[in-house]
Amino acid sequence: MNGSSPNRTLVRLSAWSLLPSVGFIVILWWFTQPSVEGALVRFVNSMLTSFTLFSFMLLVVLFTYGDARKRPIAPMVGVFAMVAISTGLTVFFLSQGNFLMEANASVRAQYLSNIIRFGTTVAAILVSSVAVGGTLLASILNSPPKVIHFEEE
Amino acid sequence: MQAFVFFWLAGLVFLLGSLLAFFSKEALRRKVGLAMTVVGFVSLLATPWTLSFSPSSAFGHLLGSVLGPSVLLAVGFYQIAFSGHVPVGRLSKQDRLLGVVMVIVGVVWFEAMHWWSLTPTYPSGVNPYWLIFWPTMLLFGFATATGAFAFVGVVGDRRVREQRLMLVVAGFFLTLMVLGATSDGPSIVRERFVSELLLSAADLFGVLVGASAAVVLFILVVLVYERQQPEPTTLAPPTAEQLERATATVAHHISGGKEA
Repeated sequence: MNGSSPNRTLVRLSAWSLLPSVGFIVILWWFTQPSVEGALVRFVNSMLTSFTLFSFMLLVVLFTYGDARKRPIAPMVGVFAMVAISTGLTVFFLSQGNFLMEANASVRAQYLSNIIRFGTTVAAILVSSVAVGGTLLASILNSPPKVIHFEEE
Repeated sequence: MQAFVFFWLAGLVFLLGSLLAFFSKEALRRKVGLAMTVVGFVSLLATPWTLSFSPSSAFGHLLGSVLGPSVLLAVGFYQIAFSGHVPVGRLSKQDRLLGVVMVIVGVVWFEAMHWWSLTPTYPSGVNPYWLIFWPTMLLFGFATATGAFAFVGVVGDRRVREQRLMLVVAGFFLTLMVLGATSDGPSIVRERFVSELLLSAADLFGVLVGASAAVVLFILVVLVYERQQPEPTTLAPPTAEQLERATATVAHHISGGKEA
């Protein structure tokens, strides 16, 4: 690890991960000027669905992690509250007129559509991670082994 | 009812099964989790037949469409990686060659799904979830490759080759996005691709923000719980007899069992 502080390293990694993509999206939007109607709605729906489903997954992880402890109840109640509140918030916002509604007839249909879209996004994330991670791992494991030269005493 | 059982319940079984299989420490629970994952996934894949009347079945169709090239990529990279410099269980050179072929076929297959007649079509037009999957995959691949470029630079030592490779991968994803935005495919015109790419960016950022918020709150909940726990009881210092036994054991191990 290089000598820079963990915070600076984190900022650097985040910047390298996000800025090129954001820059590309901005340039693309600038040159093509497409209709981005619905992008904000997609962002909010995606954020609420992601928060709810990740909270649910973390609840299951907490349950399985409890195998190694005496299955503590308090944090599970806390995370369960997170899931319940985020589900309630999503249903509440979806019920507020057409604020978060897309081409779906009912709140239930919109919520289920959000979940399927989340699944599609996660599938795409997994496949591209396999492609990038696989390339990196294959390159590292196929490099010639590094020899460490010790200084003579 | 049919949609609930074959799609939503199957999805829940798949999710719970995969989490159990990954995170459980008990072997039996891991096996049950694996079985649940397989059953749930097969049920989702079968939805174009079991739920052909439901719009949700397009998701099952997408999974079936991308399963082939995804498995080729995953197995191909595994073959290439583990035929390299690994201390045990190294695969042969033929395995590496097979891996390279699998990766190339996987990439060409994915490309043919946008640029040729292999575009997932369900039931009559382009599968709507393919229009989400493909731009999201390209955009996230680009972001991951640029992130990996920086990561290798921070963590690795003399890894210039890997950094260059990550730049090449990022350039590949970028080229595909630029080509999709400037040229019409047989099934997807460039205007549609651009608008779907921008919506995918909105989806991706939404997922990242939502997931980060969930993880931060999860950490806070666990942190608050752990801080409320009583301090563990402090053990008494070792007695002279225990120290003597420890010394003898350490000496025995250091000398390799021989008398000093």
